[in-house]
Amino acid sequence: MTPVELVAPATETEALEELARGPAGSRAIVAGGTDLLFDLQGARPGPTHLVSLRRLPWRTHAWEAGGLRVGATEPLRTLEADPRLGQELPALAQAIAAVGSPALRRQATLGGNLGRSAPASDLAPALLALDAEVELVGRAGARRMSVDRFLRSSRSTALLAGELVRSVRLPEARPRSAYLWQRVRPANDISQIGLAVAFAPSPGLWRVALGGVPPRPVLAPDAARELAGDRPAAREIASAAERLAAHPALVSDRRATEEHRRRLAAVLCTRAIRTAVGEPRDPP
Amino acid sequence: MSAARRPDADAKVRGAVEFGTDLSADGMWWGALVLAPVPHGTIRAVDLSAARAIPSVVAVGAADLPRLLGGAAGDPDRPAFPGQEVVYRSQPVAAVAAESLSLAREAARAVRVEVEERSAVADLEAVFPEWPGPEAARSPHVAAHVLARHGDVDRELGGAETVVAETYRTAGVHQVALEPHACLAEIRDGRWTVRTSTQSPFGVREDVASILGIAEGSVDVEGTWVGGGFGGKGASLLEPYALLLAKEAGRPVRLALTYREEFLLGRSTLPLVARLETGVRGGRIVARRVRLLLDVGTSLPGRDFATGYSIGFLLGPYRTETFEVEGFAVRTNKPPFGPHRAPIAPQAAFVAESHLSAVARAIGADPDEFRATHLWSEGGTTNLGQRVGPFGLAAALASARARAADWRKHKPPGHGVGVGLGFWSTNTGAGGEARLTLNERELVIEQGEREIGSGSVLVGLAAVASRRTGVPAERVRVDYRGTTEAPFDSGVYGSRTVGALGRAVDEAAVGLLAELGRRLGTPAPVTLTLQDGAIAVRFGQEVRPLPPLLTPEERSGAGLVGAGRHYGQAAEIDASRVVDGTFYPYQDFTGAAHVAEVDVDTLTGAVRVVRYAAFHDAGVVLDPAAARAQVEGGVAMGLGTALTEEALWSDDGRLLNAGLLDYRIPTLGEVPPVEVTFLEGYAGAGPFGAKGLGEPPIIPVPATVAAALADAVGVHPTELPLSPERVARIVKAARPSGGTDAAHPG
Repeated sequence: MTPVELVAPATETEALEELARGPAGSRAIVAGGTDLLFDLQGARPGPTHLVSLRRLPWRTHAWEAGGLRVGATEPLRTLEADPRLGQELPALAQAIAAVGSPALRRQATLGGNLGRSAPASDLAPALLALDAEVELVGRAGARRMSVDRFLRSSRSTALLAGELVRSVRLPEARPRSAYLWQRVRPANDISQIGLAVAFAPSPGLWRVALGGVPPRPVLAPDAARELAGDRPAAREIASAAERLAAHPALVSDRRATEEHRRRLAAVLCTRAIRTAVGEPRDPP
Repeated sequence: MSAARRPDADAKVRGAVEFGTDLSADGMWWGALVLAPVPHGTIRAVDLSAARAIPSVVAVGAADLPRLLGGAAGDPDRPAFPGQEVVYRSQPVAAVAAESLSLAREAARAVRVEVEERSAVADLEAVFPEWPGPEAARSPHVAAHVLARHGDVDRELGGAETVVAETYRTAGVHQVALEPHACLAEIRDGRWTVRTSTQSPFGVREDVASILGIAEGSVDVEGTWVGGGFGGKGASLLEPYALLLAKEAGRPVRLALTYREEFLLGRSTLPLVARLETGVRGGRIVARRVRLLLDVGTSLPGRDFATGYSIGFLLGPYRTETFEVEGFAVRTNKPPFGPHRAPIAPQAAFVAESHLSAVARAIGADPDEFRATHLWSEGGTTNLGQRVGPFGLAAALASARARAADWRKHKPPGHGVGVGLGFWSTNTGAGGEARLTLNERELVIEQGEREIGSGSVLVGLAAVASRRTGVPAERVRVDYRGTTEAPFDSGVYGSRTVGALGRAVDEAAVGLLAELGRRLGTPAPVTLTLQDGAIAVRFGQEVRPLPPLLTPEERSGAGLVGAGRHYGQAAEIDASRVVDGTFYPYQDFTGAAHVAEVDVDTLTGAVRVVRYAAFHDAGVVLDPAAARAQVEGGVAMGLGTALTEEALWSDDGRLLNAGLLDYRIPTLGEVPPVEVTFLEGYAGAGPFGAKGLGEPPIIPVPATVAAALADAVGVHPTELPLSPERVARIVKAARPSGGTDAAHPG
């Protein structure tokens, strides 16, 4: 690992100025650093400067009229400790609890997880299903977009050079939501499948999102369309599961074969919807 | 708490002990290895010039060996660096050292390695697409062949009422010690000196001398604290390279593996395939045929011990009227096979126990009842004709069955309860010597062996000395010495430290007491005690201070010296049953029966172990807290072998998961509470009747989890590990309807 300089700007303006310095690729943004540090060991040539966001006033979350606003550097563990999260946005609470270990979640942030855009992110499917928005800020100003537009591919987002994720906004309470995952080892492992569902009361529609698939977590509108109303019938759930199991993003890699992923997608889809509406996990 | 506190606990918690990875010295340089880029090939060039052109860098390769070793040839079968051919990926082909680690790594990258790739084979079953016959014993792909026979198996199988034939496969597993291999080498006054994290300083000395072709007497090895061994640090790995670099650099050189390298070139346990065929008549096992293919990587012919040792475990601790066992140690383009806590025994026990249950079910018998009726009895003999001494396995099985019955009464739907057995042998023939010195402040055990974390040296040996002499354990100190000064010992492996080296310590302690009795002129038994804070001598009703009994020399510092040695006698097997190869006898039998309750998600295949109980015959337990910790740790490690640990090799010998992200050891979240019970009354040959306990706790674990899984889903697995995907597949194969979830796309 080549020596790098760590800079920790105190304000948003200073942070954006720092990002604009030096040649392209010379600045890497660090929030919690839990994922980035893996990369730095092999990167060659790596960044010369790490721009830490820890001093920015973004370690906050607030319940506002329109929903929940989470600062990009809010540690996951702090969010997890807020009892309102589990009541109003259970899918996000369950996804956060699935990330790494408690120690890692003290360090890891919501903005960092999104910004790193990992195909097996546990948070991304939950944010997709909950219809979350990302707020970006650059020297030219701020802009907002859906998480679906923000995530491009593995390790690739809509973030432009010199831009930062400032916050994530969740539109309104979605108590009928759930996130389920499957791994070879339950703790400290990467999900073979992550599955989030959420019912949006105002248009009265479900959203279903799938993680653990390349090149990025995706929405599954075909599956969601099978579900009508806030309490889908068993046969609708079965149709949604069947649709999801046929999703083209389900492929083989060394963590799971395609066959196993398709099976898991169907099982978890059924269970997630039943969990979201407060029914026992498996049909009798 | 009544248990003695670990004397190393404070220092370890504070980070104050020096592990191999903490080693440093003034003027030290850092080493790095250059690894073969392909699993098999002909070396065209190993060009060190670009590395050597970097200031403050030295580099050594095969061409430098004669110069560095003064013309010594070394072992032609295992040279430090290969001259012509690489036989596994990541085989070291050169080494570099530099004044910083980053410079050393840069220099290693600058070495140009040109290898013409040749076809490699890493899949055991690709070596022998047809099951090999005895003629394959002479194949260049076979490192060892063993064959034993008793009675007419063919006839008995032909006449059996029921015959069950199965094939089992298990994956390779790594030891995953937290501390990677690390050492610090220096040429001091012309002597080859190395400090290293090892389970066997004397073993390293022998290896280094043999690999480099130098005299053992010119090599000094000193152990450091060991951050976990589990069999992976029993032989030399880095020491020859570090010594060559130190010689070339003319200064101390430190060499340590990265964790990725630990996976790539550490010696791990490799896959096996076993075929078993068992015939039953009148409720008795009348015949068993066992065929084993064991992957030994690039282990050298004639140096494989695992096959002749592990194959006996495939017969299980059960009476079998006739049998034939044949094993092949198969060479593949992987690093040489290395022992992993009870090498191959957990895998073999999984095979033997699962197969025995299948046989029992095939005749409508209760598997655990069937076990009990076939178990070896104390005083009886093993299938290879070896006498079975005090052996608590039947009692352990009875306890386990009672616990299993109780758990079955209360288990919720989806849960299963299973029992698994394992046996092991401790106090093998490997020898050791001990030296004790006594003064009025303390009793010192002088040792070459370092504590590897199990407590066997610091707690175990101290317990022996304390119990024999009466000196309280906190006044017994273990003093480490290098191989030049320390009494010889074979190593901290094979569950032998307390059982075998402890015998030498005990003999030394007995000698000390006898000498004091002689000086006192008393025929009465002498022990030691504390009087006013000083160690004093007690005989009969009398207590005397120690100093007047010592010579002026002993008083002034040397102390009273006692020496002991223990070179065990190998047990005998019935040679008439051995047709070919070496079968290793077992000694001082230990046994354990475990019980697991699992919760199986039949739709996803996820298996969660919810509770666990272990019943062990460990002879006489000298330190209950240390013994319990060994069992808890062994069960945790065994759960990895059972559920998640699996080295993924490509067909041509590339390790695909060389890291802790995709090689999954259990976390605390996967380890349930473990109830530990020791069965008393089966004294072993160790001091005070102790038996070894380092390896036995891991052995029954995969078998036990598999039995519980079979109880839950009605079908037993034939492969390890029991990953969710494998479990989902076998459940689906057994129930084509696919369980209860209407939605799953079966």
